[in-house]
Amino acid sequence: MSSVLQIRDLTLGYRDLTLFRGLDMDIEAGSTLAVLGANGAGKSTFVKMLLGLLNPLSGNLHWPQGKPREIGYLAQMTEFDRRFPIRVRDLAAMGAWRGFGLRSGLNAEARKCVDKALEEVGVLDIADRPLHTLSGGQLQRALFARVIMQDAPLILLDEPFAAVDQSTEAHLLTIIRRWREEGRAVVLVVHDLSSVLDHCSHALLLGGQEATYGAVNEVLTPDRLVAQGYLSESQASWMFRDSAARLEVADV
Amino acid sequence: MFELLSEMWDFAFMRRAFVATTVLSASVAPVGTFLVLRRLSLAGEAMAHAITPGIVIGFVMAGLSVFSLLIGGLLAGIGVAALTALLARKTILRSDASLASLYLIALALGIFILSAAGSAVPLKSFLFGSILGIDDASMMLVGGVATFTLVAFAFLLRPLIVSTCDPVFFETQTRWPWLVDQGFMLLLVLNLLAAFKTLGTLMAVGLMILPATAARYWASTITGQLALSFAFALASCWIGLTLSYLFPNTPSGPAIVLVAGGFFLISAVLGPLGFGGRLRKPSVSKTHPVAQIQSEERAQ
Repeated sequence: MSSVLQIRDLTLGYRDLTLFRGLDMDIEAGSTLAVLGANGAGKSTFVKMLLGLLNPLSGNLHWPQGKPREIGYLAQMTEFDRRFPIRVRDLAAMGAWRGFGLRSGLNAEARKCVDKALEEVGVLDIADRPLHTLSGGQLQRALFARVIMQDAPLILLDEPFAAVDQSTEAHLLTIIRRWREEGRAVVLVVHDLSSVLDHCSHALLLGGQEATYGAVNEVLTPDRLVAQGYLSESQASWMFRDSAARLEVADV
Repeated sequence: MFELLSEMWDFAFMRRAFVATTVLSASVAPVGTFLVLRRLSLAGEAMAHAITPGIVIGFVMAGLSVFSLLIGGLLAGIGVAALTALLARKTILRSDASLASLYLIALALGIFILSAAGSAVPLKSFLFGSILGIDDASMMLVGGVATFTLVAFAFLLRPLIVSTCDPVFFETQTRWPWLVDQGFMLLLVLNLLAAFKTLGTLMAVGLMILPATAARYWASTITGQLALSFAFALASCWIGLTLSYLFPNTPSGPAIVLVAGGFFLISAVLGPLGFGGRLRKPSVSKTHPVAQIQSEERAQ
């Protein structure tokens, strides 16, 4: 599998605060990476660095296929102004606004692409509604349509399921799966240990001034989650009680 | 009454005022619309006050010329914007508190210098505008600023929409997101200066904000918002100037802004996105989009 981005000996933080040191990892095409960590561990800072909004304190970022012109990005929904007077269709089209130029309108082909993206996320029937009339789930679907329009090889999603219901989450996860099948790399910031992790191939656990990268089942072990301050010991023993029981049975 | 109104057109200063405010409306409407959408309504008001000392110093040093107004105002506007950014970045104060502190100092300084210099311009017309003040040079200023603003908007509109709707997303899309922010602030200062003669320093921003907030109660798209803002601004100017002519002792600024305020209040009551829409919701539940979605959700 080819790498979209190679990260070597990365130290991330701010002038007076180092979040973690010495991270080596490859973000591979067709993979889904889950980024986890306690509050303040550096999840959003990591995403900002990938977007180029923040320089690392030290280390190397190498884009083997060249730095992509577009990085798909979905911020946390709390940062979005839902009263802004545009329609769902326009929000989706915004994903490709740089391609449309400064002044020209959308041609027939571009309109078709927007409609296709809206249909895929299931909001084509409300394409002409203003944003303030949407529910949280409908808005998140429209924002996913914008990411589809970005057509990027690397896609960053910051807590995309924080404010949506189960059916919306299931639907959006099928889109993430399609992205992976198309060879795009998806980075998913997740807040809690949920079923979302079943859809991820790799995990990056941040916390305790450390960054641990690897396959999901190798990184998200009870010991490591406790060591990096993501869970307390009692939380870990409660959450992993079933797997512990299975291990005991296997031992017998 | 009709005689009085038809007499109004005999005066060159009234004809000039109508032409100037018509052009001004086309220029300030898009600026006001984006001030409101970018949640900078109060920052616009503060900036209007902040350019006062620049205008006053320019006036005291070089007389009441368009050139001194433009240079003084631009320098003061850029200075206050830069100082605000510096305070917000390097000290504990946020940008709203920094700007509020600076504009208060600037406004007091401006009035102090104007009074201390024994100005020949009455303070009232300086603060609230005067239709008599619109000479040929002011017409050129309004025309020049309007042309510059509309051409700038033709190129800036799409980036402005993206950066206003979702600034975090916009930041990831361009290397120079600040260019759009600062370009917009420049347009704001230029339009405040263009509006200064008719409306005065205290009322200049009123013609930007009130038509835009009134339009917000009716329009669900940017295009609708821009068109309605212009229509409200134009109607406010024409009606306000007529009132100012009919009541000779009233300055033109407050007359225009009061009419714009009337449009705002009516829109807040009757507009589909104001109280009116909400009060009428039960009876329009089949057609109103908010009510429609809510009823769908309830059905689910």
